[in-house]
Amino acid sequence: MKRYGLLVLAFLALPALAQEWKVDYGKSQIAFVIKQMNVPVEGGFGRYNVKAVFDPAKPELGFFRVELDIASINTGSEEGDGEAKRPAWFDTARFPKATFVSKAIKKDAAGRFTVTGDFTLKGRTRPLLAPVILTPQRGGGWLVSGRTALKRSQFDIGGGEWADPSVVADDLEARFKILLTP
Amino acid sequence: MRKRYSLPLISLHWLTVILIITAYVLATMLEDMTLSPQKLKLYAWHKWVGISVLFLLPLRLLLRFVDRFDHRYELSPFEIKASASVHGMLYLLLIAVPLLGWLHSSAAGFSVVWFGLVSLPDLVGKDKALAEIFKELHAGSVNLLLALVVLHAAAALYHHYFQRDGVLVRMIPWLRKKS
Repeated sequence: MKRYGLLVLAFLALPALAQEWKVDYGKSQIAFVIKQMNVPVEGGFGRYNVKAVFDPAKPELGFFRVELDIASINTGSEEGDGEAKRPAWFDTARFPKATFVSKAIKKDAAGRFTVTGDFTLKGRTRPLLAPVILTPQRGGGWLVSGRTALKRSQFDIGGGEWADPSVVADDLEARFKILLTP
Repeated sequence: MRKRYSLPLISLHWLTVILIITAYVLATMLEDMTLSPQKLKLYAWHKWVGISVLFLLPLRLLLRFVDRFDHRYELSPFEIKASASVHGMLYLLLIAVPLLGWLHSSAAGFSVVWFGLVSLPDLVGKDKALAEIFKELHAGSVNLLLALVVLHAAAALYHHYFQRDGVLVRMIPWLRKKS
């Protein structure tokens, strides 16, 4: 019995044994593209925090947590940056952070994974799925990159007069590349 | 001898006038607006209208080239020179003003999608400092364009009301020469 207990303990400890990677924020990017009057406009977040724990031999057992500092948003124009913080959009005063917490990582092919998890934005939590490519880097690091589709209406981003999707589209694409170093 | 320009040429001339006024009025409205869906719509329309001026110009030039109407008819040697240089500058600015707007759009990171349908290529990469320069040049060149339009219209009216010749009549299908 005692032996089994140890085994269970060892199993539980496994994810913790997996390496936590450092993030090279200077070479990482969390961006989005949203159509305004049918014009794709690129934006992004200047400050965010990524926690990445995984074993390169078994990345599907890993764990990702991303926290976005919403006030660091770049919408492509100064006017837009100011507007985005208002209650109709992100309401940064009440919801300064958005988080993504991974729940499962499925291996699709060599270096390709599907990460599923919960994305919490403006106090609303919705499941999010993102195909992710892990590219090994010289020096033992990894580039985690991918893009995924979101709808702003799911998170009540841009309500009221801004709800009209023919002006600012409901659909947007999130793009990320995170450089992990040992 | 024919007294007027061809109807397509006349139509394009007045269409350009309407487009320029529309783009200018939209730009003036945009200056005082804070960000709103309405502003994004008007901004888009300003760009669509301006780009239309640019795209119509080659067609106008082609039609003018093909049209057999002799521009110099009824004009003095001085008037021929003066009108040719004003027309030349007008054509140049009808290209330059929208082109500088397009350059400003590209440098500001907002591409132009003509009428929300046709994606125009970015002429330069995103560059904030460059965007400011193009914005100033766009605004400056439009003032020059408007000054020339006023001069052009004043000359046409002068011909009609003082010289009582057929110069203005060429561009207005229902107008008759003052007797």
